[in-house]
Amino acid sequence: MSSKFLESEGFKIVEKHFIDKGHKPFTFQLKTWQSIGNNYSGIVVAPTGFGKTYSVFLGVIIDYLNHPENYKKGLKLLWVSPLRSLAKDLAKAMNAAIESIGLDWTVAVRNGDTPTKTRRQQERLMPDVLLTTPETIHLLFSQKNNSRWFKNINCIAIDEWHELLGNKRGILTELLISRLKTLSPNLKIWGITATIGNLEEAKTVLIPYADTKTIMITAKEKKKIKIVSVLPNAIEVLPWSGHLGASMSSKIVPIIYENTTTLIFTNTRNQSEMWYQIILDAAPDLAGQIAIHHGSIDAKLRNWIEDSISEGKLKAVICTSSLDLGVDFKPVDCVIQIGSSKGIARFMQRAGRSGHSPYETSKIYFVPTHSLELIEISALKEAVKQHKIESRLPLVLCFDVMVQFLITLAVGEGFLAKEIYTLLKQTHAYAYLTEDEFSWALLFITQGGTTLKSYEEYHKVIKDEKNVYRVKSRRISMLHRMNIGVIVSSSMLRVKFISGGYVGMIEEYFISRLKPKASFVLAGRVLEMLHIKDMTVYVKISKAKKAMIPSYNGGRLPLTSHLSHFLRIKLADALSPSIRERELKFLHPLIARQGLHSHIPKANEFLIELIETKEGYHIFMYPFEGRLVHEVMAALIAYRLSKITPLTFTIAMNDYGFELLSDQAIPLNEDNVASVVSKNNLMEDVVGSINASEMASRKFRDIAVIAGLVVQSMPGKRQNNKSLQSSSGLIFRVLEDYEPQNLLLKQAYSEVFNQQLEEVRLREAFIRIENSDIIIKRSKSFTPLSFPIKVDSLRNSLSNESLSKRIERLQKEALKNTK
Amino acid sequence: MNIVTKNIICKNETLTLTNHRAVYWPKQEMLIISDLHVGKAAHFRKSGIPVSTEVLNNDLERLKQLLSFFKAKQLMVVGDLFHAGINNEFKIFRNWLDTVEKINLILVKGNHDKISSEISDLFFDWNIFTTHHISPFNFIHESLNSIDNVFQISGHTHPGVLLKGKGKQRIKLPCYQISKNQLILPAFSLFTGLNTKPPLEKVINYAFTEDHIFELI
Repeated sequence: MSSKFLESEGFKIVEKHFIDKGHKPFTFQLKTWQSIGNNYSGIVVAPTGFGKTYSVFLGVIIDYLNHPENYKKGLKLLWVSPLRSLAKDLAKAMNAAIESIGLDWTVAVRNGDTPTKTRRQQERLMPDVLLTTPETIHLLFSQKNNSRWFKNINCIAIDEWHELLGNKRGILTELLISRLKTLSPNLKIWGITATIGNLEEAKTVLIPYADTKTIMITAKEKKKIKIVSVLPNAIEVLPWSGHLGASMSSKIVPIIYENTTTLIFTNTRNQSEMWYQIILDAAPDLAGQIAIHHGSIDAKLRNWIEDSISEGKLKAVICTSSLDLGVDFKPVDCVIQIGSSKGIARFMQRAGRSGHSPYETSKIYFVPTHSLELIEISALKEAVKQHKIESRLPLVLCFDVMVQFLITLAVGEGFLAKEIYTLLKQTHAYAYLTEDEFSWALLFITQGGTTLKSYEEYHKVIKDEKNVYRVKSRRISMLHRMNIGVIVSSSMLRVKFISGGYVGMIEEYFISRLKPKASFVLAGRVLEMLHIKDMTVYVKISKAKKAMIPSYNGGRLPLTSHLSHFLRIKLADALSPSIRERELKFLHPLIARQGLHSHIPKANEFLIELIETKEGYHIFMYPFEGRLVHEVMAALIAYRLSKITPLTFTIAMNDYGFELLSDQAIPLNEDNVASVVSKNNLMEDVVGSINASEMASRKFRDIAVIAGLVVQSMPGKRQNNKSLQSSSGLIFRVLEDYEPQNLLLKQAYSEVFNQQLEEVRLREAFIRIENSDIIIKRSKSFTPLSFPIKVDSLRNSLSNESLSKRIERLQKEALKNTK
Repeated sequence: MNIVTKNIICKNETLTLTNHRAVYWPKQEMLIISDLHVGKAAHFRKSGIPVSTEVLNNDLERLKQLLSFFKAKQLMVVGDLFHAGINNEFKIFRNWLDTVEKINLILVKGNHDKISSEISDLFFDWNIFTTHHISPFNFIHESLNSIDNVFQISGHTHPGVLLKGKGKQRIKLPCYQISKNQLILPAFSLFTGLNTKPPLEKVINYAFTEDHIFELI
């Protein structure tokens, strides 16, 4: 640390503020302060609870105090965070610091919740610090004369950058930084992130500018995490998910009582509703002290819950990833994870929600929903110990986001093609954009398609006499502003009590299949549907004891490749677990059974089980690559087998493996297995085995909304632009028929291959399989590994009650057959 | 264009279903369609959503072939002939009408058919009704709750069926929906969605593909 900086006026003032509060700056904070003083940009990597915010924020304050001449009136620091809910508390903390330092800066929040009056005031006079979201900045870009607000901006901070990197909101962020950098060339760019696997890349994506000095500052402070697995009373040698629920509740309730406030994480909204009921049934006196929090619950209710957690009024909150991020809840001293978190980063993030102050230990309990999940916890522990965390891979060349951005600029101040091409090319996302692709985008927004004659009335963007691209129509501007952003939710309806008051949101798909007077569960309440009007479902409290719990699309998270790697190792270890691994020791009877009747695959082995039951002929394979990859692999193997003999298969899968079931003998044996699981002709066979056009059509849903091809209807809004209603599937078909060279279609296909089919991971899996010893085992009954997959396939076709009975019968048969 | 037909009997009348979203009534030499939505693509274009005018041209080309296949003397549209306010595609449709052989044109108005004086001038040769009765059928855009002894022929709902196969396979197909007292036609325009919500009443669906019409109960 240079002594000159330590002796500067600004540093002394801020340090005094820190010491007065009884804190001592961490080394990473000091480093950040000095780097900002030296005109660096960079990223700060620190665990939550260590004052990441103060590193960048106070750095800017110190620089201002030392060099007020570099700062002009208006917006100085733009603070971007992925969550609206963070802003309010951050602003409070910043205001407190500013006041205690004695500055005359103003701090303001701007996002979708900000009232119009406040927004207009801000537009007349921007605050010194503005806390906002990427979408809100793009909305500002769509206003007339917007560059005046940004031309003197000194620093932009991107909070929780790891949450944005890897999705299309990350691209929105890259684009807005590129534009701000153009407006204010000396802009300092700072990212704040938790640890991820590709930090260096995260820095380059955020700050790809050659003329900017960059630095990565990593906190040495480490958050201590204590992981406790909650073991069931007895081991079940044929495990199946969901079964342990009720019996585990007797173990969860004491944990809730022992701690001040507990966050209970589940993986889906459906599960959170279910566990809320289970816990209430097990401990009725907790009523009123526990709450449920997920993305479909009304925002007001969620805010109330969040406030109540902060004030220590709640003993426990059952939640989903909706509380992964967000304000630090001081009273939370315990976290329970129900079911596998399916990823290492997510697990650590959730653990970090407890024990927030710097030197406290985060405590997380893991409650398995079936006994095999104990292997996952063992794998998670190992990964946390080795500090191996997943990477967030940045997306590139998303034409939908680019088209939206171009129209945003055309609605705002208008743009010149050459300038915007440069602006795009300097981002990471569009560094490889070609001139042809860019010209296509201009053509698309000005004339709609390649044959001008077919698009006569289309004048979305117009090139004026000065070659500036502009949107002239007020109606198009309005439609576009409503559409800015890249978060596409499935069509949702608001749920409202007939007597007043909102409960939350529900998917149109689910509600359209309910009959009037049917009951369903939302926000922990049993509701009776009365009628639907204006995209709102009117309900009243139902007296029914049992009701449907809505399932939401996209509920299931697949296992990450990092975790699956550790999982394979732990499974192999499980035959002879070390004394300290209580999960593996507990699992021993199950593992031993698997070893006895089939085989435990070692890290260099690939297990295939051929099982013949009354139901037919089953193949089980265990790549441990997560359900998405398994879905593709299963279709592929079925395709290759049906080329040997024409057969039809039923396919089932979970995160560990997949099943193919046929009513005829399956022609797979030691001689031909190598060719069936070969990596040769991989992608050709994948394309042959799936309906790529159907998958692309589904992927096109988000693309169509982002690029403005589908007008979303807003829940609760009266005006729904009915005459413009269409589905993305319809637009997809029309484009395939008449505009096949449209780049948005191409993007849909590439998203299928990169994201849905995970081409890279698939290829790696086949290479690994090819280098493994393939073990084929034959059996007359289900094994511990195959049983949960079998159960999952039943789940799709049967109602809950008959399901339990049928599973019990299967279990008995399997055990009997092998005695 | 491969036209597949299937005859059904309603109220002792023979009706010919086609695999091209149109029904032919031999006794009246009448082709019956619904939901053509002329001007829809242009309406989208005006609002900044590029949908090619080829969509309309394709619909009209199919209609022309159907008319000549049956040598129809009448065309009945049971509503939503037009989509929204007047635009260029209305002229394309006018020109197209002038090229086909003169036939009796009947429109039973639908919720989208806001007939301004400009539109009624341009389409002076159409007989426009709110509902229309040609015994034994009552033609109406949106079917009312079933009335005994009256058989309604209508459109509006864009009926479709969802067929589920093994391994998450799903196919949506347009269909004719027939119950005791009504026949609902699929939307004629290809630029329309499908409503696959199962109807409350007991119905027989006739779904179709490029080379088949098949009955689903």
